[in-house]
Amino acid sequence: MINKNSWKGYFYILPALIVVSVFTIYPLLRAFLMSFYTKYHFASDTVLAYGLDNYTYVFRDDVFQKALRNTSLFVLFVVPISVGLSLILAVLMNSKIRFRSFYQTVYFLPYVTSIVAVGIVWSWIFHSRYGLINYVLSLFGIPAVQWLNSPKTALITLIIFSIWKSLAFNIIIFLAGLQNINPQYYDAARVDGTPKWRVFTRITIPLLSPMIAYAFVMELINSFKVYTEVFALFGGKPGPANSAITLVYYIYNKFYGSWNFGVASAAAVILFVIILFFTLIQLQISKRNVHF
Amino acid sequence: MKLKSILVSILGAGLFLALAVVAPVSAEPVTVEFWHAMSGGLQDALVALTDEFNATNGQDITVELVNQGGYGDLSKKLMASVAADTLPDMAQVYNNWITGYLDSVVALDDLVATNFDNYDDILESYRNEGAEYGPIYTIGFNKSIQIFFYNKTQFAELGLEVPTTWEELEAAGKVALEATGKPIVGYDDLFGLFQQYVQQNGSGFVVDGKIEFNSPEGLEALTFILNLYKNGYARLAGEDVYLSGPFGNGDVLAYVGSSAGAAYIQPKDFEYGAAPLPKGPVKGSVPQAGTNLALFAQDAAKQTAAWEYIKFLTSADATVEWAIATGYLPVRTSGFESATYQAFMEENEVAQAAYAQVGDQYFEPVFNNSYDIRSLISTEIETAILEEKTPEDAMNTIVEKVQALLDN
Amino acid sequence: MGDGIRRKITVVLTHVFLMAGAMITLLPFVWMILTSLKDAGEIVQMPPTFFPSVWHFDNYLKAFAAAPFGQYFINTLFVTIVGTILTVFITILTAFGFSRLRFPGRDVIFSILLATLMIPGEMLIITNFVTVSKLGWVDTREALIFPWIANVFYIYLLRQFFMQMPDALYYAAKVDACSDWRYLWKIMVPNNRHAISTIAILNAIGCWNAFLWPLIVTNSESKRVLSIGLVRFQTEAGTHFELLMAASAILVVPMIILYLLLRNQIISGVTRSGIKG
Repeated sequence: MINKNSWKGYFYILPALIVVSVFTIYPLLRAFLMSFYTKYHFASDTVLAYGLDNYTYVFRDDVFQKALRNTSLFVLFVVPISVGLSLILAVLMNSKIRFRSFYQTVYFLPYVTSIVAVGIVWSWIFHSRYGLINYVLSLFGIPAVQWLNSPKTALITLIIFSIWKSLAFNIIIFLAGLQNINPQYYDAARVDGTPKWRVFTRITIPLLSPMIAYAFVMELINSFKVYTEVFALFGGKPGPANSAITLVYYIYNKFYGSWNFGVASAAAVILFVIILFFTLIQLQISKRNVHF
Repeated sequence: MKLKSILVSILGAGLFLALAVVAPVSAEPVTVEFWHAMSGGLQDALVALTDEFNATNGQDITVELVNQGGYGDLSKKLMASVAADTLPDMAQVYNNWITGYLDSVVALDDLVATNFDNYDDILESYRNEGAEYGPIYTIGFNKSIQIFFYNKTQFAELGLEVPTTWEELEAAGKVALEATGKPIVGYDDLFGLFQQYVQQNGSGFVVDGKIEFNSPEGLEALTFILNLYKNGYARLAGEDVYLSGPFGNGDVLAYVGSSAGAAYIQPKDFEYGAAPLPKGPVKGSVPQAGTNLALFAQDAAKQTAAWEYIKFLTSADATVEWAIATGYLPVRTSGFESATYQAFMEENEVAQAAYAQVGDQYFEPVFNNSYDIRSLISTEIETAILEEKTPEDAMNTIVEKVQALLDN
Repeated sequence: MGDGIRRKITVVLTHVFLMAGAMITLLPFVWMILTSLKDAGEIVQMPPTFFPSVWHFDNYLKAFAAAPFGQYFINTLFVTIVGTILTVFITILTAFGFSRLRFPGRDVIFSILLATLMIPGEMLIITNFVTVSKLGWVDTREALIFPWIANVFYIYLLRQFFMQMPDALYYAAKVDACSDWRYLWKIMVPNNRHAISTIAILNAIGCWNAFLWPLIVTNSESKRVLSIGLVRFQTEAGTHFELLMAASAILVVPMIILYLLLRNQIISGVTRSGIKG
């Protein structure tokens, strides 16, 4: 559908393009340049030397390596589980069951609840001595787990918490998508007596595929950028003995803590390249599987 | 004609007189913008002091307070303002914030020399901190010190005295653990813990960019610390983030934390007390904390006006009023010694404990990568405790990593 | 017969599953409300109490008195409403451009926009503050609104919805000499109003809760927003959790009302109008 008035498209995207260029792309390019500043005087904004030192520093820094490893594991678990679970929940909530408006409202609440409150509650739920989870485990004779205290479990705790935290957004997206599906499809399936599982795989999934693709891409990007969850769960620290440090935590710490703009920017550029790589793969996959 | 000129001259003389009366008092109205990070009751106290200054300075100076969130937010905002060249006239700062823009900070040496009331009356360690970059760049304002908070009720039940030395701390830890199964102590600040024990044992920490804590005394201090944890006499804050929580809950018998946190301790069915930190074999050494005042105004009139305000805030009367209202410490010796503060101290154990150890307090100097070194040492100490590393192992790791950061 | 029982079991299991999730989800929210009614000592107590031993409704009065929340509320409302209207408008235009129209470089530009999401946002604040101050926007509402009116998250989302509209519809409209502009507002927008409502509510929540940027670009009380008021209860030495939670609870109420209003608009009635292919 090549339109002969091809310039017309620019008219529609121009406002967004201007705003994004000024407030996102321009500072982004500056951050990119900054990653090559090896001697930089911040107050007068003068660069005394350029080079690749920041990159070598980052790659050699074992805190960065730990952050990279943690973040990769985090993404590996959070993205599929979160998207899968919210898809199931959204479909159930959208089915003709009782209390569905109650469920829809309740599952939306975490999205508006204060992150401080959420952090406090979950650090209580995970508390080794007084927490809910260890209490339930003790009923089955399982000894107390040091969810937040041990470097071995801190990342797992963060993953569980983050899956919970991300559900609300994905469910909202899926519900919007499900509302968009013409019920005639389902009516037809009911008349034919198609089993529920087949309805799900043959009607719901394909028709929801643009939203599933969207949720995957967004969850991937957001998971690579995980930061607030770490902050809320461990009271501002990156877990016991740095065990739950993530890439963005590392970046912000370098940027606003050590004021090491060059190193922070270099780490951000590396993160950018990683996310870009996986996003491109994902977009390729969705191009093949998304039905518009 | 004549009448008119007489009238004019009378009016003129009157005007002249009026001006002559007013002029020396009010030159030009000046406003001073002061960015701070004081919230809640602290903010109320700052507003009260500032209102007092605005009403009584007699020079038409108005100080406008602007709350910029927490310390982290204020630091970010100052940094952004340096880049945009929109710094306020003055702000609360930690010394390590201003290293990136010292050129924008007004050096105070001349003002201090010519127009300040007895600078030597300001506590020595605050003066040292203010001048750590050479010139005096900052003046201490809301200062605090680490305190040993303890469960008075339980100490009495166990017949324990407040430990004043390492040995006493260890002995009390043994008694407490055997009787209650609970650790006696915890430390909110692991970096401060390491530094203070190293210094208490007579070793330097990092001096002139060189590591000195890898001395036999330093290793001895680290051994002592790690043993406290290994034996169960000390515990980490861990999931509770700050030890005031488990302390209030009775899960730890004492903790070392900032004097500024006293108001937030919520003791459950017990009375708590405050005491100076135990001293080391060689000397006492106690970390101080809290921010300072920095002057950014480049305009002469604003500079003078802001300086008047700084003089006011750090005057003996104001610093005492501030300390009593907030729990911070007076910045002047004469403040501590004033009748008002002495009377307050009678009733206030935290203030007593603070006063008892101000002679031992030190500031954390800023050096190359000191922010990173601070978090690195905290992490490594925590790791050593959690993984029960030997002191030698832990020390080697710390030295190696700190050296790399110092060289970078 | 067997079928009926199996159906009942499925329904029960569904409810058990959803209910269990709902409890965990509801807990922090309920906790926030209950904490806001406790006294300071009870909050840090371990094991925690669920219901307050004494109900401190006065916490709400104290929280209200701590900051000029009335002024903050008006500011937040203004920024949220204007910001959301502009964002939704720009999102609709841009999503339409990227889904229904063809122009050179379209996919490249879209990829660049997507790529902007991949950098952590707080890194951009200093540069943006410099830009805003060059524009003379420091301490103005413009600075609170304009930098955020083009949100790629939403543009991408709505593009996905617009792409789903059948091509046939577009060509039919073209044959009827319906301009792109009319087609967008007469057909695309009404048929995707649940997606647009969803974007509106997500954006409103984002505006409502934004903290760091509003703090950085404003100085005077007359320009500040509610989330900044929450800082009043947190100091470096400790936090007044009961007041913080009371203020947070107040802050959340308008968003829940908005959600309930929009949710009814989203769910009821529109189900039958889906024309997706």
